Amino acid sequence: MKRISTDMTNNDMNYYLRAREKKLNDIQNKIADQTRIRELRDDPIAASHSVRYKSHISRLKQFTDNIGVIQSRSRIAEGYLQEAIGIMNRINEIAVQGANGIYQQNDTVIMGDEVNQLLDELVNIANARSGEGTSVFAGDRTLSNAFRTFEGYVDGGGKEVITGVEYTGTVKRNNTEISEGSYIESNFPGNNIFWAEDQIIISSVNSDDFIVRKDSSILIDSAEIKLKEGDNIHAVIARINDSGVPVKASIDPVKNSLMLVTTEPHQIWLEDSGDGNILKELGVISSFSSRPPHNISSEARVSGGSVFDMVIKLRDTLYTGNTLDIGSGAMKGIQQSLNHMVSKTAKLGAADERLELVKNRLSYEIPEITAMDSRETDIDLAEAITELKMLEHTQTASLQTAARILKPTLLDFLR
Amino acid sequence: MQSTFTGLEIGKRSLIAHNKGLTTVGHNITNASTEGYSRQRVKMQPFDPLYAPHLNRENTPGQIGQGVTAVSVERIKDELLEGRIVSQNNLKGYWENRDKYILMTEQIYNEPGEYSVRSMMDKFWESWQDLSLNPSESATRQSVLQRGEALISGIHQRYKSLKEMRDMADSDISATVYQINSILSDISSLNEKIVKIKAMGDNPNDLLDRRDLLVNNLSSLINITVDNRDPDEFQVHTAGLHLIQGRAVNYLSTDIDPVNEGYSRVVWEKSGEQAFFKGGSLASLIDIRDRDLREEIQKLDLMTVNFIDNVNSLHRKGWGKNNTTGLDFFREYPFVTSAEGNYDRAGNGEFDSTYIFRVSGSNSLDPEALIGLRGEMTLPGPDGNINIEYFPTDTVADVIDRINNSQSEVNAVLDDVNRLTIRAVTAKNIDNPDFAIRHIEDSGEFLAGYSGILQASGAEGAFDWETAGAAASFRTGGESANAEYAVAPLSHPSGWIEINRAIKSDPMSIAAGFGENGRPANPGDGSAALAIASLRNKPLMIGKLNSFDEYFSKTVADIALKGEEAEVSLETQNLIMKDLEDMKQSISGVNIDEELAQMIKYQHGYAAAARFISEMNSMLDTIINRMGV
Repeated sequence: MKRISTDMTNNDMNYYLRAREKKLNDIQNKIADQTRIRELRDDPIAASHSVRYKSHISRLKQFTDNIGVIQSRSRIAEGYLQEAIGIMNRINEIAVQGANGIYQQNDTVIMGDEVNQLLDELVNIANARSGEGTSVFAGDRTLSNAFRTFEGYVDGGGKEVITGVEYTGTVKRNNTEISEGSYIESNFPGNNIFWAEDQIIISSVNSDDFIVRKDSSILIDSAEIKLKEGDNIHAVIARINDSGVPVKASIDPVKNSLMLVTTEPHQIWLEDSGDGNILKELGVISSFSSRPPHNISSEARVSGGSVFDMVIKLRDTLYTGNTLDIGSGAMKGIQQSLNHMVSKTAKLGAADERLELVKNRLSYEIPEITAMDSRETDIDLAEAITELKMLEHTQTASLQTAARILKPTLLDFLR
Repeated sequence: MQSTFTGLEIGKRSLIAHNKGLTTVGHNITNASTEGYSRQRVKMQPFDPLYAPHLNRENTPGQIGQGVTAVSVERIKDELLEGRIVSQNNLKGYWENRDKYILMTEQIYNEPGEYSVRSMMDKFWESWQDLSLNPSESATRQSVLQRGEALISGIHQRYKSLKEMRDMADSDISATVYQINSILSDISSLNEKIVKIKAMGDNPNDLLDRRDLLVNNLSSLINITVDNRDPDEFQVHTAGLHLIQGRAVNYLSTDIDPVNEGYSRVVWEKSGEQAFFKGGSLASLIDIRDRDLREEIQKLDLMTVNFIDNVNSLHRKGWGKNNTTGLDFFREYPFVTSAEGNYDRAGNGEFDSTYIFRVSGSNSLDPEALIGLRGEMTLPGPDGNINIEYFPTDTVADVIDRINNSQSEVNAVLDDVNRLTIRAVTAKNIDNPDFAIRHIEDSGEFLAGYSGILQASGAEGAFDWETAGAAASFRTGGESANAEYAVAPLSHPSGWIEINRAIKSDPMSIAAGFGENGRPANPGDGSAALAIASLRNKPLMIGKLNSFDEYFSKTVADIALKGEEAEVSLETQNLIMKDLEDMKQSISGVNIDEELAQMIKYQHGYAAAARFISEMNSMLDTIINRMGV
């Protein structure tokens, strides 16, 4: 600049002071707010990352909460199951003792009475309620009891006892999200936990000429299996076996009818979807519309029972004093029940371990992502204070120079 | 022969000239801090000497100087620099204004923070997670409701703030047009005066300064060029048209634009034609109002409408604790009352168009399946329809990606039962409505028989919004093989989104479970709640964005980048302008020291001239009084 006008120094000083004051104000606010991003424009990319991280963290926290709830629930369930196993062990001892040929009927009746008491307790456990007042083993029908009992008189019992225990819950699995897109079952249907034998359902209807007439679907254990128009019985069987439900379908060689066998002990729930009638036509469920599990066709042969069935069977044989039956039939049932319940406990334990692993991962991931977020948005205090100090110094310096430069003019020297 | 009193004359001329100089110095000093003032200088010149070459010239050696005269008072100004300033100033005006508005928009986001729409939506999803854990509880339902309300008020707030800013920009536009007009009329009257003064042979320096200042102010409002070539007709142009030609002025005006929600449009007052500007705060206001803020509202609307649609379509399938089903969680306001989307756009009493927001095919598709078909889809683009080809070797997912990656103003996604769903997005062109599918056509079978959206392929089977009853071209094939469609929502869903009254009055209606096989959900069934909670990070296509997460992070990045650009551009422009202004100041600005020095110079000149006169006086005194005649 060749020539400096009087205004220029003033303008320049204004310009730079204003710019510096803006910076000072900026950095002061950032320090006060503890953030690098006061306006989004301060760092667009960091801001957009931070938005993602923050949502991600809130989600992970929710997953941690979910895991906490499920863990406590499955621990409650496991506690009850352990108790039930204890009872079953006692029943097993009684069965072993009762199978011993040396006891008379009046001895075995006493044993039967003990088993009967234990059965009552077993039913109580199966109807357990959680702290929230919901039924633990009732599937998603959480407000009612999981099992219903029938009472009556049996030979040798002499008083009203439980003659049947029926599952009144559902098989619907509730899922809970425990990490991004990964779910875990969070309820424990009682007809799976308290089951002893593989269930077998054999229809009595010959299925040679069966054909699916229009696209429809069937529900096995509440999983939907889609059938296409024109599927014959083999195709239906293949679809059931490929669907991943713990049920194996095959053709009964005697009657050429559909046979369903569970691959792990549980009660099979069968239903036609909507107004379809595939399973009805196959003679597996009755044509009267009632809900599972009470809809199995009366023509079909069903075998395989619950833990309660086994205990009732043992008790009844003890009441009748038939030691031979105790040893052969009843004891086997008790053993199977025990085995199955123990394996269910193991499964719960395994699920708990998975939850624990996920929880650990989350507890590591949350601080990690918080740190990432903090790296993007939080202020580096040391740097900020250094910058502030630098700005303060330059501000003082320029104010001082301004005071010196602006003051003298020729006027000061003219007399 | 030279006159006896010549010396006095010479002295007098010098006194007058120096007096003028001193007056000008005084004028300069007093105007030292006047905006737009250029320092003035008295141009001095020796007076015409004696003798001119005449026949009657005296035969003496010459020429004899006759002293000084002030020829003119000139302002010191670089016209070229002035032109530069005028041409740069509109950019400063543009960015200054844009920076201000974008900053306000950024602040509306409240990001990254606790009170943003995003964090409210996070909380909303969390409440659904809680409901999925405790489906039988009423407390969790209350929390879903409350968090839903909080989210909605957040969305409303954002919409209202954006809308208010649009209104503000609109009134700023009117105010700016008014301001431009008043500057124009000032310039015109100055032009008149200047021409008159110039005709008298004087320099209207102060008026010129004032005109330059007005032109400068005008140049920050709109982009202008100045034409000084004709001294009698000062001209200002914008966009190739005359704003000012001497006294004649072409005023601007505003009128209401029915296409643009009744906002005002800048037009030429005489012709009524729309005026377009490239720079200055007026252009930035129009850009902000019609582009940035419109886009912001569209984005919010797009998110809201997809949010409503996705939550509702799941919620409708679920069962509340009081065994209600089929309820929308959020209330839906359709744009048209007709269930087929028919609408009378021309307003002549006959249906002439079809407003459909979403259509789902009748068939469930496998995303990884090879389609084995060849054809070309025709879908609406920002300007006219665009074609998207597909080939037998494509998978369904490939075709969907191709639609989503194209310029088309629709998106495609497989819904929860894997049906191909096409949704309209916001329209780039202001003439097209938001959230209405404008065209679907397929030369092959992909959109027709394969996915089950259209009844037939080819142009005959096409869906086009500009015919009434166009929904008939969607597939109908009996009970289960129907394509499903939803009519377009009322514009600006973010302004009207609200929770269904039935749900507000009885939170037990909030669905937690899907039930089973058509039966109401049991109290412990949390499947619907879980499905809704999982929407948060699912690929659902919000416009061309994949998920809500992506939407929030993208919108934040977009506005932040705009803000950064505005700030950086403004700073750059400020620096450029400062340099130019400095240069101008350096040339035209008043330096008091310099003026004082000038003052001393003129003072001494004056004193010397006075002294000269007094010397002459004593000479004359000698001749007149002492010669003793």
